[in-house]
Amino acid sequence: MKLDAQELQKYQPNRYPFLMIDYVTEVVPGKFAKGYKNLSNNEWYFPVHFPNGANMPGALQLEAMAQMLTVAITTQEGLAGKVTHALQHNVRFKKEVLPGEQLIIEAEVLSWKRGICKGKAKGFTHGEVACEADMMITIPEILEEFLPK
Amino acid sequence: MSENRKKYDDAFIEVLEIEPEDLNEKLEYSSIETWDSVGHMALIAELEDVFEVSLEMDDVIDFGSYHTGLKTMEKYGVAF
Repeated sequence: MKLDAQELQKYQPNRYPFLMIDYVTEVVPGKFAKGYKNLSNNEWYFPVHFPNGANMPGALQLEAMAQMLTVAITTQEGLAGKVTHALQHNVRFKKEVLPGEQLIIEAEVLSWKRGICKGKAKGFTHGEVACEADMMITIPEILEEFLPK
Repeated sequence: MSENRKKYDDAFIEVLEIEPEDLNEKLEYSSIETWDSVGHMALIAELEDVFEVSLEMDDVIDFGSYHTGLKTMEKYGVAF
């Protein structure tokens, strides 16, 4: 299954200016999601990060990876559009992500149980790893169903 | 102390990041910072791995303290 810019918004609740993925080229619900973010000179953060050296903020690279991982989860039955929260991320940045480049993101679900997803993702530009992260995200609405009252 | 009781205690100590002397039967969900919602799921997952069981939803919810957890695990055939 693939999701275009409109379709992916059924499964990813973030919106402009915080939607950090443009297209999902392949998703297997509960397993993985792959896609990309195209970076034009018009990205809102480039004029300020930085005026003389535009590059995509690391925090937003991480957000892009987390949003792709979210799609791998929320494409499962009954979870479309559910809001996810970050629980724990461990991220490494390898190279700058620049205007005009395409950040290709591959996210994999390692486990999904009781509203908590453990996963990992990598972001690539020009075939090289630009960023990678181990992540833990949750759908609070599900997690809360399992908590002691 | 039985081997299973030690495994049970070790799960609490490791997942909730507490000292052995702080482990007691009064320990409850939300009574310490590390036994929050995420800690709860991590603790359940660890116990499931250690004892090779899979807890039903109601039992995850009822697992509200160190003491009640012992009763829960006994339901799944874990003898202490």
